[in-house]
Amino acid sequence: MPAFLRLLPAMLLACALSVAQARDPGDLVIGFGADVSSLDPHFLNAVPNVAAAAHLFDALVHVDPDGKLVPGLAVSWQAVDATTWEFKLRRGVKFHDGSDFTAEDVMFSLERPAKVVNSPGPFTSYTRQIASRQIVDPYTVRLKTPAPYGPLPLDLTTIYMVSKKAAANATTEDFNSGRAAVGTGPFKFGAFRRGEAIDLVRNDAYWGGKPAWQHVQLRLLTNDAARTAALLAGDVDAIEAVPTPDIARFRANPALRLEQKVSWRTIFWQMDLSRDQSPFVTDKAGRPLAHNPLRDVRVRAAISKAINRQALVERTMEGLAIATGNIVIPGIVGHVDAIKPDAYDLAGAKRLLAEAGYPDGFALTLHGPNNRYVNDEQVVQTVAQMLTRAGLQTRVETMPLSSYFGRARAGEFSFALLGWGSLAGDSALRSLLATPNPDIGWGGFNWGRYSNPELDRLVRAALGETDAAARAKLAGQAVELAMRDHALVPLYHQYASWVMRKGLSYRARVDEFTLANAFHPQ
Amino acid sequence: MKGAAGLLARYAEDRVAAAALALFALLALAALAAPWLAPQNPYDLAQLDILDARLPPGSAAGATELVYRLGTDAQGRDMLSAMLYGLRISLAVGFAATAGGLALGLLVGLSSALAGGRVDALIMRAADLQLAFPAILLALILLAALGPGPGKIVAALVAAQWAYYARAVRGVALVEREKDYIAAVRLLGLSGPRILFRHLLPNCLPALIVVATLQVGAAIALEATLSFLGVGLPVTEPSLGLLIANGFQYLLSGKYWISVFPGLLLLGLILAINLVAERLRVLLNPRLQGV
Repeated sequence: MPAFLRLLPAMLLACALSVAQARDPGDLVIGFGADVSSLDPHFLNAVPNVAAAAHLFDALVHVDPDGKLVPGLAVSWQAVDATTWEFKLRRGVKFHDGSDFTAEDVMFSLERPAKVVNSPGPFTSYTRQIASRQIVDPYTVRLKTPAPYGPLPLDLTTIYMVSKKAAANATTEDFNSGRAAVGTGPFKFGAFRRGEAIDLVRNDAYWGGKPAWQHVQLRLLTNDAARTAALLAGDVDAIEAVPTPDIARFRANPALRLEQKVSWRTIFWQMDLSRDQSPFVTDKAGRPLAHNPLRDVRVRAAISKAINRQALVERTMEGLAIATGNIVIPGIVGHVDAIKPDAYDLAGAKRLLAEAGYPDGFALTLHGPNNRYVNDEQVVQTVAQMLTRAGLQTRVETMPLSSYFGRARAGEFSFALLGWGSLAGDSALRSLLATPNPDIGWGGFNWGRYSNPELDRLVRAALGETDAAARAKLAGQAVELAMRDHALVPLYHQYASWVMRKGLSYRARVDEFTLANAFHPQ
Repeated sequence: MKGAAGLLARYAEDRVAAAALALFALLALAALAAPWLAPQNPYDLAQLDILDARLPPGSAAGATELVYRLGTDAQGRDMLSAMLYGLRISLAVGFAATAGGLALGLLVGLSSALAGGRVDALIMRAADLQLAFPAILLALILLAALGPGPGKIVAALVAAQWAYYARAVRGVALVEREKDYIAAVRLLGLSGPRILFRHLLPNCLPALIVVATLQVGAAIALEATLSFLGVGLPVTEPSLGLLIANGFQYLLSGKYWISVFPGLLLLGLILAINLVAERLRVLLNPRLQGV
């Protein structure tokens, strides 16, 4: 029961009073803000797991702190024709067991995600576009897609390269035990204590240069107050996902250093847009309505107008977010500068509701997670408060992520909070609003089952466009179309933040990843 | 047995217990009158203003005439109002759960004592099994299965506490059963239920009252714990435990009022109830008469 962890801070506070033990200057302890469920890099596609795996493994393509693609285990890549990508591999790279990294390992690693059993969030949406793979020579591979597909290098930033020798027939459990956790990354496996910590040892032969830290511990401190207490007590050198109530105090503390950056994550509402009777939309007496009001674009526009994003950002998020009307953050493909966040207009919202035939509003239950995004539970309550002012009768139900995503995917909700991080608007739309089709991996997070052939066409065209400018134009058109239709209600982009003890530096990353190798002594 | 007035007079001989009773009465009245006393309906989202979030005690509301005497929480909810309503939930849940547990425990305990033999053994082993589970664990499991809601919290608390009553009742009833007056009414040929409810039950009551008062405090504490752990009641209708949990993350950043005030209120409430229960235990125990 993760709820029990809420009791942890009290114990940690007690510990904080005892003297913090001295640490070796070559050791680094980092407090992670979310649980890492496995060290199998192909098991669960969620930031905490992927970030933990990044310590042990490398991908062909890496992402720099600003979201630009940079060489990883591939030194270069190019489209040799419309449907073929060629990757040149880095030479002289060794796995932790001393064996060479070659094209064979790439083949194995690209095939493995489809073979992982019981994945709660598979990586196959990134590998499914690859129709055939070909080894040209031990350091060159060619990947073919059935149709032109531009974002393949971006997709491959999330697929980590494992050792064919060590991981052949390995199960997820073999990675957790360390037997198969043999990568090329900056650190070697030390120990994985589930729900507690991951211990790592320096890989002296790392191709990217010898890491600064001899031993690294990633401590899993999912409780906000516990994470703060651990940092103040000196039990950890740095923490990620800094709790918003503590930011101001950390900033004023001369012994600590705060790093922040707008993250790629947009927080928004997914609405039930396909069913005429939605389970959590009723009249105010709880009786079913003749039609699902969320299917009326005027109602969706009214909801968007009724949300005071500025208040949400300044009060609930304590300034650690930027209000938005877009799906992806500024500066990346698919962000449209011309789309501003809908202005707060209560009278306008009520007028639109009346026009749509709901002058007295209706009843709506808002669903959200309570342990995933920064202040998620508070955000759901605040939006409920704002919609109540517009005349809706709201209820709030929040739950741990473990049950939330599954229920949302099953279509159990009518109005549900989701956060999505993406480095491209067309890729985001493919998951969030494209007509759901499991065969091609589209619409995996389209909880409301929005379906718009014109949007599908634009997304397909954008993803198939290899010319950057043309792709950006198409992706922008797709985003504009979705936003004009209020197919989802965007709220804000959240900040990612880190606090560390003085003497350390970390360049804040747009993708929210916390990487021990990127911490440097000053 | 002396009259109620006599009992009250003897109760008041202990000044601390008298103060505890007065405090409890005050809190109960405040809870009953919450809708009239509270400056705001903290469960009506339209009355909350996010722009007033986390204001310290004594702050004035931005848009209305309201003054937040005990500050506001992260949603801009008036703490005083939220505490009064939370107190209402705590007391209602505590008493409903006790009444439910008492009724169930009485029925099971008396039947067990009267039936004897295998039925008795079966029921008491079931009670043992239940007591072997920590109450909090059992309630957590039940709420996970049942889902949130005040009625479900009561059900979970009853399920977690009935065995205490059943055991106490059975113990007393077994003793009383062997006494001469029961033998006498049996010889008179009275029916089973009549013996049970008219003769056995009234003589078991003093012991039960003591157990029940203690269990009210335990039920309230259990409800607060469950709310603190985030199961049971909706987040938009916080009870005392949820208020404490919500303010917890702000403790380190100096916004003490969100957690501390509801915490003190809960402490006062449970302390008062336990002091009253302790005094009743002394008064109603014949062996301690005259001590």
